[in-house]
Amino acid sequence: MLGFFARRLLYLVPVLLAVSLLTFMVGALLPGDLAYVMLGDQATPELIAALHKQLGYDLPLWQRYLQWLGNVVMGDLGRSFRTGDLVLGAVLDRLPVSIELMILAQVIAFSIGVPLAILCAVNRGGAIDRFLTGMAFGKLSMPSYMVAILLIYLFAVQLNWLPATGYVPFTEDPLANLRSFLLPALTLGFGEWPVLMRVLRSDMIATLQEDFIAMAKAKGLRPARILLVHALKPSSLTLVTVAGINIGRLIGGALIVETIFALPGIGRLLVGAIYARDFIIMQGVVLFVAAAFVIVNFLVDMLYALLDPRIRHGRA
Amino acid sequence: MATSGFRVCALALVFVAACLTAAPASAQKQGGSVTVGLELDISGFDPLKVGVFDTSGNIAATLIFDTLTYLDDSGKAQGRLAESWTNSEDFKTWTFKLRSGVKFHDGTPFNAQAVAWNFARQKDPKNKCRCAFYIANILTVEAKDELTVVYQLSDPAVNFPAGQAVPSSNNVVQSPAAIQAKGDDYSRNPVGTGPYILKSWTAGDRLVLERNPSYWRKGWPRLDRIVLRPLPDAQSRFASLLSGESDVVWADAFEADNILRARKNKALTVHQYVGSGATVYAFNTKVAPFDDLRVRQALVMALDKKKMSQVLTNGLSLPATNPYGQGSWVKCKDDGALPTDPAKAAALIKEYGKPVEFKMLVTATPRGRAVGQVMQQFWKQVGANMEIEQVDQATIVPRAFQRQFQLTPWRIIDLPDPDTQMYANFRTGSPVALANYSNPVLDRLLERARVTADQARRSDDYCEISRLINSEAIWFWTFQNDYYAVTKAKVKGIPKLYSGVINLAGAWIE
Amino acid sequence: MAALEGQARRGPGVLFFAALAWITLIVLAALCAGMLPMPGPNDMDMLSRRALPGGAHLLGTDSLGRDTFSRLIHGARISLTVGLLAPVIAVLIGGSLGMLAGYFRGRFEILATGGADVLLAFPPLVFALAVTAYLGQSIQNMIFVLGVLGIPAFTRVARAVTLSLSEREFVVAARALGATHARILIRELLPNVALPLLAFFLLAVAVTIVAEGALSFLGLGVPPPAPSWGSMIGEGRESLDIAPWLAFLPSGIMFVTVLSFNLVGDTLRALTDPRASAL
Repeated sequence: MLGFFARRLLYLVPVLLAVSLLTFMVGALLPGDLAYVMLGDQATPELIAALHKQLGYDLPLWQRYLQWLGNVVMGDLGRSFRTGDLVLGAVLDRLPVSIELMILAQVIAFSIGVPLAILCAVNRGGAIDRFLTGMAFGKLSMPSYMVAILLIYLFAVQLNWLPATGYVPFTEDPLANLRSFLLPALTLGFGEWPVLMRVLRSDMIATLQEDFIAMAKAKGLRPARILLVHALKPSSLTLVTVAGINIGRLIGGALIVETIFALPGIGRLLVGAIYARDFIIMQGVVLFVAAAFVIVNFLVDMLYALLDPRIRHGRA
Repeated sequence: MATSGFRVCALALVFVAACLTAAPASAQKQGGSVTVGLELDISGFDPLKVGVFDTSGNIAATLIFDTLTYLDDSGKAQGRLAESWTNSEDFKTWTFKLRSGVKFHDGTPFNAQAVAWNFARQKDPKNKCRCAFYIANILTVEAKDELTVVYQLSDPAVNFPAGQAVPSSNNVVQSPAAIQAKGDDYSRNPVGTGPYILKSWTAGDRLVLERNPSYWRKGWPRLDRIVLRPLPDAQSRFASLLSGESDVVWADAFEADNILRARKNKALTVHQYVGSGATVYAFNTKVAPFDDLRVRQALVMALDKKKMSQVLTNGLSLPATNPYGQGSWVKCKDDGALPTDPAKAAALIKEYGKPVEFKMLVTATPRGRAVGQVMQQFWKQVGANMEIEQVDQATIVPRAFQRQFQLTPWRIIDLPDPDTQMYANFRTGSPVALANYSNPVLDRLLERARVTADQARRSDDYCEISRLINSEAIWFWTFQNDYYAVTKAKVKGIPKLYSGVINLAGAWIE
Repeated sequence: MAALEGQARRGPGVLFFAALAWITLIVLAALCAGMLPMPGPNDMDMLSRRALPGGAHLLGTDSLGRDTFSRLIHGARISLTVGLLAPVIAVLIGGSLGMLAGYFRGRFEILATGGADVLLAFPPLVFALAVTAYLGQSIQNMIFVLGVLGIPAFTRVARAVTLSLSEREFVVAARALGATHARILIRELLPNVALPLLAFFLLAVAVTIVAEGALSFLGLGVPPPAPSWGSMIGEGRESLDIAPWLAFLPSGIMFVTVLSFNLVGDTLRALTDPRASAL
């Protein structure tokens, strides 16, 4: 276990380095001169040359990369040239929104996906199973912007129950905060439950055929107890992985959903930076998002090792 | 209004006007809170950082800061931080007497030195302020004594005090002590003398302002709190007004459906102001096919602005035939506008002989795209092929200044006097003379109009200028500038929306 | 497990053929878009905006008075072009990398899977958005970006399939007979890897159509006036309360198309699952 941990941790380093290199390259090589953006109508050739020097653009690319990397390692992602905000500060400002959205979406996805998966696994091949599997499949073909529009049309335009947009901080009014998060979280949760249901269903079907389940049945335990206590945990291996990947993604912000519902999360920070040609923010946010994904995946791998079948069978 | 993007270009030229109307002193209730839905996120207030404010920035700036003057409902300059002013014979020296006893929110005194310091900081070439272009005509600002400040201009400006009313990054007075103390953090922690004090600011979400209890103007401000929120999506912004999350929302003619609906709703008030200026487009006359007069004229004549207004804004937008607009004091009997005549346009294109193919810059926004596609259709019908080149709002200004375009949208914004923009846009050699066009007759007219004190004679000159530009078709105008705010009916005391600035400095809830 | 898969697997049903028929229909419509008797997708009938379906315009008009039916058909061209070509890039590059990694193992495998991990770390949409924003909006750029983003997934699938095959008798036998690596890769492995990759390809088409739609929805897809389902949904959103069908029509078409590709791909995948065929 420890060896596994160390190996994965070691693997993390080159991946993160490569991620940082790619991020830097996207920022550095794409056309669009930061100097022009910064100077606007003041852009005379002399000023541009001076600014290039000040920004270090006259150095070779690898030197610029090392410099940037050094700063990043020290926790300095730079400052937006446009607003003067620290990139790290800007990301941390937006993070609570993205995290709250992520948690709510997971709660919704799990509370739909898990019961339905159990229902399907128990009635495998039955009408309910086929109907739900079909629905999940259909849902998978529906992108989030479609779901968002449907939800807005239903709940905001037609029924007028929920706000279409309008984020309220939790500290200001928890109830209004939840209301403002409901539609976006539903959009994301709806996108995720079919995936959770599919993986849990097939793992659960496999588990239900194992000996220890038959033994539990023989002991006369109640079916509900067998399902929830004995079968669920060993079946949740893939589920944890899939959910982990989703969480890793969502920490980096849900670009489309944040844009549609006007939530000030990481996704919108990035879109704004792209539109404003704010390279420094863009670079920093992309790096943050990619690193968050890699690290969450690493943690999931660890969790996975803990739930490893061998350990499970040892206990059984 | 063409392109919402154009607001940025506009920004580039924005000196948006705002005003503190002297509302009747009766029955204004104190207290209450108002939430405002704006279009854009505010990026900060330090001119060295943000360059110029956009409309959202101006709306916040007019609450946090004061300017020397304001425009009353007739468009005349009145004193705000300045109490009175005088000018030299040649209109190149302006002396302002400042209000005494005014303090910044940080407790430091407001005085002539503060005005001069703000100016010097922006003017300093070392600071490379993207705001410096707009104060190019001001040579020096000098503090004569504690409460006297003298502006020396390079060119005459007959209407200088009116220009100072705009809550632009150049005109608002910021606290020198706070700027020096806070450094990089100042931009998001602005300190002014205005009626409202910044309480908290969550980037991308809300900016909370609270009343300044020691504001110099008696009885002001009336509201306890104003919350400004960026709601970039037009539909959601309007929905937030209906659901009660917002009390005031910014709007433009592209939201015609909403505006028309709001007019029928008794609980809402629609504020509309048609200002001076227009949404305009500049041909680069140095590159083919626009080096040929026939092509330029053909494209202008191909546009049916009435139909355009119908399809884009439900007929709400007013077609423009000159760059001045109905909010301007320039009134023309004949502005020389070319008629809408697709047949003639097609004939001119045919006469030109070569295929007419070109790219037009369009801002990458829903509105920019809509406008671009409509124009594309009109031009296709007369045999000209326009290709849409979408660019970010932030890119248009540098592209325009470097003349990297064939046809670019631009904006003549609502200013109290046409001189600044007309001179910059059409005088040979100016960086904003986007058409790359030079004509001594035009130059002479521009020079004369700016030093004439008599308004009627100036108006005649500007009409002649319009005739010349229209016949040469170096720029063309589509719609006049109109500005909208939709509010709950109980929100009172909002003056004219000069340049789209919703000024809540003196607003109250009934 | 394999037995289970086999049990759960049913032969291609009615739905499969319905999906196939829909795909054929859409492809045909896209191919013949120019020849169909309908108004041009960009022609504006400025005095009849947001016309209801029926009447002069079969499915009504959009907010600029353009024929919705015509735009849907022409939009299919864009969606299918991007949706089919981007995965081609991905399958060619990712597929060969994956096969080589699975066959040669060793350092190359570590490099290839590591590279895939790095690319996967970038949220795809964010990456696509950033690159199209800077390179400029065009179909080519979009195909390029979405293609590159699809590479890691194909690398993984191809590697997994190759790994499971490379110890099988026919490969071992070929190797014993002294066949060159190239010969084994092309003659023995490729035919067996191709089918699972094809199944995955169809799923990737579905994903790419959705991604193209997302970019266009955000206004960073195909440049106007060319219609795309995504941009039509995005434009329709602006008048959701007045003319909801403007957003729902393209949504519906896109949904059915994506569903069809998913169905066909999933059925093929079940048929060609290496675990099942490994028996």
